[in-house]
Amino acid sequence: MVTAQEATDIVVIGSGASGAAATWKLAQNGFRVVCLEQGPWVSPDSYPVTKTNWEELIRNSWSYHPNIRQKHADYTVNDDDSAVKVFMYNAVGGSTIHWTAHVPRFHPSDFRVKSLDGVADDWPIDYWDLEPFYDENDVMMGCSGIIGDPANPDRSPRQMPPIPLGPDGERMAQAFDRLGWHWWPSDSHVNSEPYRGRQACNNCGPIGWGCSRRAKASTDVTYLPDAMENGAEVRANSTVFEIVTGPDGRVTGVNYYNEDSEACFQPANAVIVACNGIGTPRMLLHSASAPHPTGLANSSGLVGKNLMFHVYAGANGVFPKMEEPAYKGPLANIIMSQEFYETDLSRGFVRGYTFQMSRSSGPASTAIGAVPWGTDHHTTFDARFGNMNGLGVIGEDLPVETNTVTLDESRKDRFGIPAPRVKYELDENSKRLLAHGVKQARTALLEAGALEVNETAHSVNAGWHLMGTARMGDDPERSVVDANCQAHDADNLFIIDGSVFVTGAGVNPTPTIQAIALRTADYIVRGRSDLRN
Amino acid sequence: MPTKEGKLTDSDKRNMRAAMDRFIPPVDDLPGAGSMGLLDEIERMSVEHERYRKSLVRFLDALTLDMSVEVAGGFLALDDEQRDEAIRDIEGSISNDFANVLEVVYLAYYSRPEVHKRIGWRTGPLQPLGFELPPFDESILENVRKREPFWREAPD
Repeated sequence: MVTAQEATDIVVIGSGASGAAATWKLAQNGFRVVCLEQGPWVSPDSYPVTKTNWEELIRNSWSYHPNIRQKHADYTVNDDDSAVKVFMYNAVGGSTIHWTAHVPRFHPSDFRVKSLDGVADDWPIDYWDLEPFYDENDVMMGCSGIIGDPANPDRSPRQMPPIPLGPDGERMAQAFDRLGWHWWPSDSHVNSEPYRGRQACNNCGPIGWGCSRRAKASTDVTYLPDAMENGAEVRANSTVFEIVTGPDGRVTGVNYYNEDSEACFQPANAVIVACNGIGTPRMLLHSASAPHPTGLANSSGLVGKNLMFHVYAGANGVFPKMEEPAYKGPLANIIMSQEFYETDLSRGFVRGYTFQMSRSSGPASTAIGAVPWGTDHHTTFDARFGNMNGLGVIGEDLPVETNTVTLDESRKDRFGIPAPRVKYELDENSKRLLAHGVKQARTALLEAGALEVNETAHSVNAGWHLMGTARMGDDPERSVVDANCQAHDADNLFIIDGSVFVTGAGVNPTPTIQAIALRTADYIVRGRSDLRN
Repeated sequence: MPTKEGKLTDSDKRNMRAAMDRFIPPVDDLPGAGSMGLLDEIERMSVEHERYRKSLVRFLDALTLDMSVEVAGGFLALDDEQRDEAIRDIEGSISNDFANVLEVVYLAYYSRPEVHKRIGWRTGPLQPLGFELPPFDESILENVRKREPFWREAPD
């Protein structure tokens, strides 16, 4: 039996980067919003950095991979046939609990890859459409950084100065200077000074597993408290299993299991899906109905296709001992270089990549990643511990229809909902891009004084960015949602996570995801009064 | 072989200690990992985390059944060089499981205060102390600020 709840204007499925942003904006503008989140509230006081065995926790119950973590709210992901393993976090705040909060923006060229480079498709919106929403998001999340980056258009002053570069960051910056390559302090949604009641970062290091100081902006400590003050209801431990449609094909609400595992129906004037680039196609495909026989909003057949992750590679340098060990400071919010970002066909590939600098971690993490067992163990450990810095290559992977998310009827979650099956291969352009990036990373690390450089030609464990599986476009036959993220097939269904990306650019996607979510909410506020009772 | 709950038998413990001493040998005034009393911690992790438990079972199985070990009459009957050779065989044949076993041993070893003292790491959780770094100094931007904007214009 399904228990019906009191009707609301908007149901948002998911409370992560995009869901929380939309929930906040809609609630602030007088909409009645219910945000359903399959995971629980997690207290920042319980994060691994507050525990002595944090290095054990981040590899197990706090792993990025849901199949390792196996928390109550997690669903299994079948990524056996994927060249990149899928990462996500299921809790109030979603994967912003886990992110590093490195927030570069897309470039104007990223929205016009077809026009400029003859590949993939142009977006139906451009950088300037999103710019005010990037700015609005920076105010809400709090951005540490500095303006004047020559690789990007001018932007509004950052809320806080950059995170300290540390001696290791300065060493890398000076190497880029000597090479004549671009670099810039990373824009970070991490407080370099107290901001809106949240503390400043105190440089503890492993920022990707929750910040107990709330210095890192996860949406459970930024958007959602404000949203709730404005009347939004956030229902944790609520797993949506179906978006319900009427005979006319419009959505009428969602079916979900509440925290007592009872089936409920939440009626709504509109549904916003914000379940990430894997969870969203899973949800849409699992919501097939008579008006939508191949899955909700799937008349184009593109739901679950064109999956993009970003292709990752990198190099790690082992440096002479410094006075300050390189484990002090946020793991990957230091500097970035976009020297090889824009297309230059003489490099042998189209599009480009960003270098994101990273630093050392704790003792066990150092040993596990980089120190062999045996008679040389201590010599190698002593040389590497606190002395390693990396350059990650974040490359643009172009959309390919054979990179997919489908339903795996052979693996189901605790409610019997099929797991997503992920298929993903690197194309030739991506391989050439990564090879170029690794070579250049080696050059930069050696210039910075590395005694030894170890390369990773392609990082398998790098599926943080989930994009492209319900793409945006003007043509209903070639896209799932329109420029306002409204489904072509149902005018009261919206999708606002990374699924709607037409292309992925060569940067971390979260600020762009959040800007799109705010823009969609803005469209609803301004143009869809029919969705408000 | 460990029980299905992950508990180690006495024979497992003897073999594991010997293997751990080869993984992380003595250094300065510290004994090798096998002689440091880490087995309770390893057992705890293998009980709590299924992937460690499964890999430990396979590793200890392999340590008993490896051909060179069998011929010698057991892992403990081998000298150090032979033990390393047997471990390398196992590392090559069950690499994923071996990586998990090494991970759990490294986690246990590098959680010990006496090890932290040797390597200069502050024992305890990272928070609330964190680490101090000097604030950002804008003068480092002097060079890169001279560069003209080079982002690519895009058509409407």
